[in-house]
Amino acid sequence: MVESRSPRIRFGSIGRRKFIKYGSLAVGAGVISACTRGGDTTTSAVTGSSGSAASGDVVKVGVMYSTTGTIAIVEKSLQDATFLAVEQINQGTGPWQGKQGVAGKQIEMVVVNPDSNWDLYNQMAKRLINEDQVSCVLGCYTSASRKSVLPVFEENDAILYYPVYYEGNECSSNVFYTGAAPNQQITDSIPYCYENFGPKGFFIGSDYIYPKESNRIAKAELEAQGGQVVGDEYAALGTTEFITIINKIKQAQPDFVLSNLVGDSIPAFYRQFKDAGITPDQIPIMAYPTTEEEIQAMGPEYAEGHYSSFNYFQTVDTPENKAFVEQFKAKFGDNRVTNGVMEAAYLQTFFMAQAMEQILEAGEEITTSTLREATRGQEFNAPQGKVKIDPDNYHTYLYSRIGRWQADGQAEIVFATPSAVKPIPWSQALYKGRLCVHPTPDDRSDPTQETGNELPVEYLES
Amino acid sequence: MLDFGLIQAHTLYLAQDATATAEASGGIDFYSFVNQLLNGIGIVGVLLLTGLGLAITFGVMRIINLAHGEFIMLGAYVTFLMQSAFQMDLLLTIPFAFLGTALVGAVTELTVIRRLYGRPLETLLATWGLSIVIQGVVKLIFSAQLKYVKSPPYISGNLLLMTRQDGTPLISISYYRLFIIAIALLMLGITLYLLYKTPLGRQVRAVAQNRDMAKCLGVNTSLIDLLTFAYGCGLAGIAGAVISSLKSVSPPMGQDYLVDAWMVVVTGGVDKLIGVLAGSFLIGESNAAIAYVLNDPVARVIVLAAVIVLIRYRPEGLFTVQKRA
Repeated sequence: MVESRSPRIRFGSIGRRKFIKYGSLAVGAGVISACTRGGDTTTSAVTGSSGSAASGDVVKVGVMYSTTGTIAIVEKSLQDATFLAVEQINQGTGPWQGKQGVAGKQIEMVVVNPDSNWDLYNQMAKRLINEDQVSCVLGCYTSASRKSVLPVFEENDAILYYPVYYEGNECSSNVFYTGAAPNQQITDSIPYCYENFGPKGFFIGSDYIYPKESNRIAKAELEAQGGQVVGDEYAALGTTEFITIINKIKQAQPDFVLSNLVGDSIPAFYRQFKDAGITPDQIPIMAYPTTEEEIQAMGPEYAEGHYSSFNYFQTVDTPENKAFVEQFKAKFGDNRVTNGVMEAAYLQTFFMAQAMEQILEAGEEITTSTLREATRGQEFNAPQGKVKIDPDNYHTYLYSRIGRWQADGQAEIVFATPSAVKPIPWSQALYKGRLCVHPTPDDRSDPTQETGNELPVEYLES
Repeated sequence: MLDFGLIQAHTLYLAQDATATAEASGGIDFYSFVNQLLNGIGIVGVLLLTGLGLAITFGVMRIINLAHGEFIMLGAYVTFLMQSAFQMDLLLTIPFAFLGTALVGAVTELTVIRRLYGRPLETLLATWGLSIVIQGVVKLIFSAQLKYVKSPPYISGNLLLMTRQDGTPLISISYYRLFIIAIALLMLGITLYLLYKTPLGRQVRAVAQNRDMAKCLGVNTSLIDLLTFAYGCGLAGIAGAVISSLKSVSPPMGQDYLVDAWMVVVTGGVDKLIGVLAGSFLIGESNAAIAYVLNDPVARVIVLAAVIVLIRYRPEGLFTVQKRA
């Protein structure tokens, strides 16, 4: 009796303990997985459709931006801009006035969230292409994420529309680059700094591929002008402590600081820069990734008098921009601002829609090759002005502008090219005369060509 | 001009334009290095403030709280909320940040921590999960965008200790950094006073040293646990409020401070609160010095590696009480 009872009690008590132990573990794990599930959840949404769209009447498009994790701060706003564009295309408002969908078909977005994790971008891209069978993907922000998905798009021969200024030196048959190439951001801003501020530049950036490449190109440009780089410092991604770098800047006494910091680091740097007693009159900051959004977050008083180089500012004076800002604020709130990356995310969606419309109206099917050929050479009256996809190198003709930040957090545009500049994917300071020309029709052969000559600056005829 | 040849070597990049400035650079380097060490105090202040709350929850209560960074973040968001809703001055928001995070801390203790005392592994997992939950909730309420916190206008500018002949500052430290250190030292003082000079603090220490005995002697241990944990979280909230205007406010901001706070607490040792001061001073200043000679990412690697070596040979940290075996 005793022998038979005691194991039962022991069994029972251990079972209960184990239950509590594993139960609490399971709860913890469940909580964690529930919260990181953003990482692999796919939600389909037909924004703005009346629900009447039959299964054959939609075009599936992947939207891949992180809405959780460190990069979410930026990528969420890119997603917002994309949502706005798709809504306008589906409902026939904004630039899509008078039409509805692409040749009658609604765009259905397959939205994924890679959780700011480079590996997940790769997996999500595979999933979008192979399982969801999307026609193309709009997405990515950092160069690290683009590099992570590039092999997927090339292996599966699918198309990515990438809306971000980047370090260049890439020319894939599977990516349309609608953000600035180096020559549309660096090539104009460095001579501007040299002439207006002086020859000595101090370069800073976050510690990853884009800032380092971008600074390398800028250094070559500055040295070509006759200036010199008196300091080159990098801070780990997400750093908010800048005492040391600012101290080194003080010591080096440069004429200007070139900042390629990204994300959380930007507000912290500008605040501590001002807090350390350096005024923009003494040492102005020229920045690439610093936009209206970061200025709003740091407080405009910290950025006043500093500069950014971008294709688009919220203050650009075009009727298209007025409408874009108005529609964006109407959808997402009056306290939101628009910036250059969001504008690129917005305009690339229209490039895509125009190309799809052209294919469908010609009675063809949307495949990678038809979409690629149709996207080449597309033109669009974007908020920043008239832009065009270069038919040869798949980058975009964009305006080059320099803005000086005002007390209200908006930029006064102090420099602008007369029209959109032809993109040159390979930095000419580093790879002189290297061209990228994809054949027509694109057979995905190596597009690089060496001319050995300096490439002229060309503008889009307006 | 004084010649400080020994410390000239570290300005590697100046060697490029060595011709004209070589003579002057010796002097500039020295002052610049002093300036760097002085500004290292600014880093020490932030470390001390962020580590203090953890010294309570981990040092006194032995709770491995991986959500500490999120309590710092909550403090920053309380400040943001108070500023945007009531246009409140940053200094006035500090008590609200303390109360707000202490309240969340108390709820956490009641619902999660209380059930896991004596089980460090489960506590670790649960607080990790909690940190993700808090981040997610904050993101849902306030969105992922960076938030703007206004710094008090009367604490701006720099304290000039030395200027060049042309009037540009040579050695200076910003008033806001000094303010952070002042707040950190003040909070350390208050905490020391509470722990060692009040009956409540005696009870807290009694519970920490021997829970069963304290219980036998009539101490309401569960109430003490609740108050101590809430107080530790409240301190994290103050840290968040004070640093919010110098750094950036976003849902993932706490992660950064979590690692630093742990380094400070582990280095200083958990038995004595004063160890936090020593730990933050050591880490802050060595970080500043190494970052000056090399650069920031390298300095972080070196300091982290040094902390690991330290833990290997002195697992109790630098400042420990002699214990009977």
